[in-house]
Amino acid sequence: MEPLLSEVSRPGATASGAEFRAGLREVMPLALGVAIYGLAFGLLAAQARMDGLATGIMGAVVFAGSSQIVAVERVVTGAGAAAALAAGIALNLRLLLITASLREELSGRPWWQILLGVHLATDENWALMHATRARGRAVGYWYLVGGGVGIFAAWVAATATGAMLAGAIPEPRAFGLDFAFVAAFVAILRNLWRGSGDALPWGAAVGATAALVLVTPIEPSWALACGGVAGAVIAGLRRGRDDG
Amino acid sequence: MAEPGGVSAGLIAALALATFAIRLGGYLLGARLPVDGPWARGFAALPGCLIASLLSVLLLQGGPAEWGAAAVAAGVAMASRSLPLTMVAGIAAICALRLVL
Repeated sequence: MEPLLSEVSRPGATASGAEFRAGLREVMPLALGVAIYGLAFGLLAAQARMDGLATGIMGAVVFAGSSQIVAVERVVTGAGAAAALAAGIALNLRLLLITASLREELSGRPWWQILLGVHLATDENWALMHATRARGRAVGYWYLVGGGVGIFAAWVAATATGAMLAGAIPEPRAFGLDFAFVAAFVAILRNLWRGSGDALPWGAAVGATAALVLVTPIEPSWALACGGVAGAVIAGLRRGRDDG
Repeated sequence: MAEPGGVSAGLIAALALATFAIRLGGYLLGARLPVDGPWARGFAALPGCLIASLLSVLLLQGGPAEWGAAAVAAGVAMASRSLPLTMVAGIAAICALRLVL
């Protein structure tokens, strides 16, 4: 991504069109990961007797990968629709925290842009926007939307394709591709590091999450949200630090 | 309605509506919070804390191969700060470690 740094000094690089294109371009490695994940979801959807069209529509209107996977997996294992819905919703509570943190990007925008922005907000383009910003580039709403469009296209196309071609696609795990997102989030976390002031909140988030996962029977997605909030609360309560 | 064992249009619609309500609700909540002080510091720290928590969950669900590959990815991320390079290194490392472990 090194050549893109030169855009900082180019006049007009802050214009919304250029920012949209930068977001679309720089989300590509993540979109590739989403596509692989999407193919795997398509296989699962086929087991739940969904065709390519239904799978593509679900991807477009729900647009939340992990909750779709959990909800469909619940159905495949014989749980009722209510249990599947509850599991999918629980996994999406983290999106509440993501869109809550977008207030600067969304404030003062027309309603259609707010609705578009929140629907296209995913872990990947949201984290990419923050990581890019932490590296010193002033990116905002259109960078987020550009990245969201890239993720959306990859997700809808890959999940529909996976459902249509079920049986002809190898397991992503066979090529280590199931690890793509772990590696991506490691890189994003590195770029989010703002200095030693982050050590305590991040340590608290990791510690709380690990304790909840290891010691309590709580769903990992709840543990994740609780841990993230615990870290943010510590960052908020700490006084005299000029890193927030 | 789909037959038992299938995903119905109703389930898809309900999950879509609930997910959109969560996303919009987050925005409405965030827009009403103070712009400085503890709330602002907490929200500024939220992205890093959430990603750290997410990684903790993912790694706790893995084993030694995942932990080793994550360490390799962390080393490459520290040195390069590059997303594509870190993804390639992590995937290569997990393939190698799953062969030997």
